[in-house]
Amino acid sequence: MPDMLTITSGGDLRTLLRDADLGKLHLALDEGEGTSAFALLDTFDAQVAAAGLLLVLTDAGLHLLGGTEALVQERAEPDFIAQMPAGPVTKRLSGIVSPLRTLMTVAEGTLSRHGLRVLDDNEKTHLRGTLWVLDAGKAGAVSVSALTPLRGYDKTLGKVKAALSAAAGNGKVGTMLEASAALRGEDPALIGKTRIVMSADEKAFKAANDIIRAQLVAARRQEDGIGADLDSEFLHEYRVALRRVRSVISLFKGVYDEKQTADLKARFGAIMARTGRLRDLDVYLIERDRYLALVPEGFRPGIGKLFDMFAAQRDLEHAKLTAYLDSKAYEKEMARLEKLFDKTKALSKGPEANRHALDYAKALIWKRYRKVCKIARGIDEATPDEQVHELRIECKKLRYLMEFFAPLFGDAEVRKLIKALKKLQDNLGNFNDYSVQQAALQEQADALAGSSEPDTVEIATGIGGLVTVLHNKQLEERARVTASFAAFDSEETQAQFRTLFKPEGEAKK
Amino acid sequence: MKIVACYSNKGGVGKTASAVNIAYGLAKAGQRVLLCDLDPQGASGFYFRVKPSKKLTDERFFTDVKRFTSAIRGSDFDNLDILPANMSFRDFDVFLSRMKNSRSRLKKALKSVDKDYDVVLLDCPPNISTLSENVFKSADAILVPVIPTTLSERTFEQLLAFFDENGLPKKKILGFFSMVQGTKKLHSETVAAMRKEYGKRLLDVAVPFSSEVEKMGVHRAPVGTFARNNAAVKGYDLLCKELLERL
Ligand SMILES: Nc1ncnc2c1ncn2[C@@H]1O[C@H](COP(=O)(O)OP(=O)(O)O)[C@@H](O)[C@H]1O
Ligand SMILES: [Mg+2]
Repeated sequence: MPDMLTITSGGDLRTLLRDADLGKLHLALDEGEGTSAFALLDTFDAQVAAAGLLLVLTDAGLHLLGGTEALVQERAEPDFIAQMPAGPVTKRLSGIVSPLRTLMTVAEGTLSRHGLRVLDDNEKTHLRGTLWVLDAGKAGAVSVSALTPLRGYDKTLGKVKAALSAAAGNGKVGTMLEASAALRGEDPALIGKTRIVMSADEKAFKAANDIIRAQLVAARRQEDGIGADLDSEFLHEYRVALRRVRSVISLFKGVYDEKQTADLKARFGAIMARTGRLRDLDVYLIERDRYLALVPEGFRPGIGKLFDMFAAQRDLEHAKLTAYLDSKAYEKEMARLEKLFDKTKALSKGPEANRHALDYAKALIWKRYRKVCKIARGIDEATPDEQVHELRIECKKLRYLMEFFAPLFGDAEVRKLIKALKKLQDNLGNFNDYSVQQAALQEQADALAGSSEPDTVEIATGIGGLVTVLHNKQLEERARVTASFAAFDSEETQAQFRTLFKPEGEAKK
Repeated sequence: MKIVACYSNKGGVGKTASAVNIAYGLAKAGQRVLLCDLDPQGASGFYFRVKPSKKLTDERFFTDVKRFTSAIRGSDFDNLDILPANMSFRDFDVFLSRMKNSRSRLKKALKSVDKDYDVVLLDCPPNISTLSENVFKSADAILVPVIPTTLSERTFEQLLAFFDENGLPKKKILGFFSMVQGTKKLHSETVAAMRKEYGKRLLDVAVPFSSEVEKMGVHRAPVGTFARNNAAVKGYDLLCKELLERL
C-alpha cells in the first residue's frame, strides 16, 4: 500500500500549501466543477470524525474521506449502520460506529472538489489527489485532501509532509475531529468527551462545581435527541451525565453543607426518576435478539410477544418523558440549577469546601479503595448476595471518583487502574443485571397473572423460561466474583493505588 | 508478462517514438506497462518528464532486483510506469541476461512490490550490435521500425539473416513501417515490395510521418495526449492492437 497524506485544515488548504516551503516542487489545482450541496453525516457524538474520517453525502454518492483510500458508495439517507445499504463505506464504518447510534445529518453546506497535484520543475507529477473544500457557513471552510504518491515518489510525500507540519505550527492543519467540529459549528472538546481542567491546589468546591457544570451541559445537549427519538444513546448519555452530577453531590462529602446536599440530591433525583422506566425498556429492546437466543425454541413465541408489549410500553414512556422535557416546569428547574452552578454564590459550602483538590481527592479515593478491598476480601462462595451488591456499588463509586479526578493524577496511569477495575465491574455488573432482570420479569409476570388476554399464558411461559436462563447466568457470574477480585487485587495494582492515592502522613496499614 | 523490444540496428528510425506511444497506447487499453529506457541518453524518459536516477551508474544495479524495482517511477498516466535511463552498456548486458535467465525471479520481484506488468517494453539504444543477441533471446517480440527506403530494406534483410545464422526464432521479429509518407513514390513502392517479400514478418500497420510526432519533444508527452485525432496516433493504436494479437 502506498503511503498517503491526509491533510485537514481549517480555511482554504490552497493558501496553506502555497505558504508551505516546498522547494522545487509546486502545486497544480484544477478549477473543479463548481459548487454543489453536501451533508456531513456522523453520530451525534462524532464517532466517525473521532476515527479520523468524514462521511459526506453529495449528489453523486456517499463518500468516506480520510481513510487509507477514499471510499464511495451509492447515496443513502443516514440511519443505523445495520440499516445502511451494503457497500465499501458501510463496511468500513461498521467497525467504527456503535450499533446503538444512528448516523444523522450534523452539518449541511456547499462543497467544491478539485484535482490537486504536486509537480516538480519538469512539470512531472509526483503526488496527486482530490481536494475537498467544504463550507457549512459556520466556522469557515474546511479542506480535506488525500495525496497519494505516484510510484517511486514517496520521498516527495515525506517532503510535503514535513513542509506542512512546519506550516501546521500556526494551527492551520488539524484533526478530522476539529474539521468536523468546525463544520458543525461546535466546540471540538464538546462533541467528543467532556474534559475538565483541574489543578492540584484549586479548592474542592471549585472542582465539584466545574464537574457538575460540565455534566449539566452534557445532559442538556442530549435533550433534542431524546425528543426526536433518534437513538437510545441520547437518553443513556443524559442519564450518565446526571448520574455523575449526583455522584459528585453524594461522594464529595463536606463540599456542600448538609442542607444543600440534601436539596441537590432531591432535585436531581426527581429529574432522574422520570427517565428510569424508559431506559429499562430501551435496554430490554436492545437485548431482544440476545434474549431470544438465550431461551429454548419453545419459549420464543412468548418472549417475542413480551417484547412487543415492551415496545408498546416504551412508546408510551417516551411520550411521557418528552412531554416532561418540553414542560415549562422542567425548563425552569434546569435553568435554576444551571444558574446555581454558574454563579455558585448561592451554594452553601460545607466544611471541606476549601480543601485543596488533590489532597481531598486522595483522601476520598484512598478511603473508597480500602473499603472496596475490605468488602471484597470478605466474600467467599457462601457470602450472601447483598454483600456482592454492596461491592458493586462501592466499585462504582470508586470508579466515579477516579474518573472525576483523573486530570490530577495523570490520565494514562489512572486509565490503567480503571481498566483493571473495569474488569471486576463488568463481572459485578452482569451479576446485578441478571438479578434485576429476573425481578423485573417476575413483576411483569405477576402483573399478567390477573389478565384475561389470550396471549397471557404463552407470555408467562416465555418469561418462566427466560428467568430460568437468567438465573443460571447470574450463578455463573456469582461464581466468578472471587476470582475477578483476586485478578484486580494484584500486588502491582495495589502498589499503584498506594503510590497515586495514598495520602501523605497516613500510617502504613 | 511479455517482454517487447523496440529494436533496430539503425538510429533515427522511430524506436523511441514508437516505444513511447505504444507504451501509452497499451496502458490506455488497460495493459499494465513498464517502459524501460535503455538508451543512456534517456530519450523516452525525457518524453515522460522522468529524471534519470542519480545512483543508477552503480554497476551492481541490475544484479539486485530490489534496486531495479525501487528505480521505477510512476508516469502521469494510469497503468504506465517508467524505468528511467541509467545504465552503461555493461549494465544493459547484465540486465538482459537477467531477464533471460531468471525472468521468473524478475517477475516475482515485481510482484513483491505490488506490480505485475503485462508488458515490459524496452526502448533499445542504437549501435548495440555486440549485445543484440541478448535482446533477441530475452524478448517475446522484437518490434522493428522500418522506414520504407532501399537502405532500410537491406537492414531488415540483414536482421533476418542474422537470426537464421544463429538459429534464433525469426517469428519474434515484427517489423512495421515507420514515418511513411504516402505521397512519396519510393515509399509506396518499397512498402509493396517488402510486404510481398516478408509476409508475416511485417505487421499490417504503417505509422505515417507526422510533424505532431516531432512536437513530442516540446510537449514532453505522448502524441495521443495533445493530438488525439492525428493519423500517427491512429497508427500507434493499431500497432498496439496488432502487437497484442501477436503476443
Ligand atoms: N511517425 C513520425 N513522424 C514524424 N517524425 C517522427 C516519427 N517517428 C519519429 N519521428 C522523429 O524522428 C526522429 C527520430 O526518432 P526516434 O524515435 O528518436 O528514433 P530512434 O529512437 O530510432 O533513434 C525524432 O526526431 C522523432 O521525433
Ligand atoms: Mg531512441
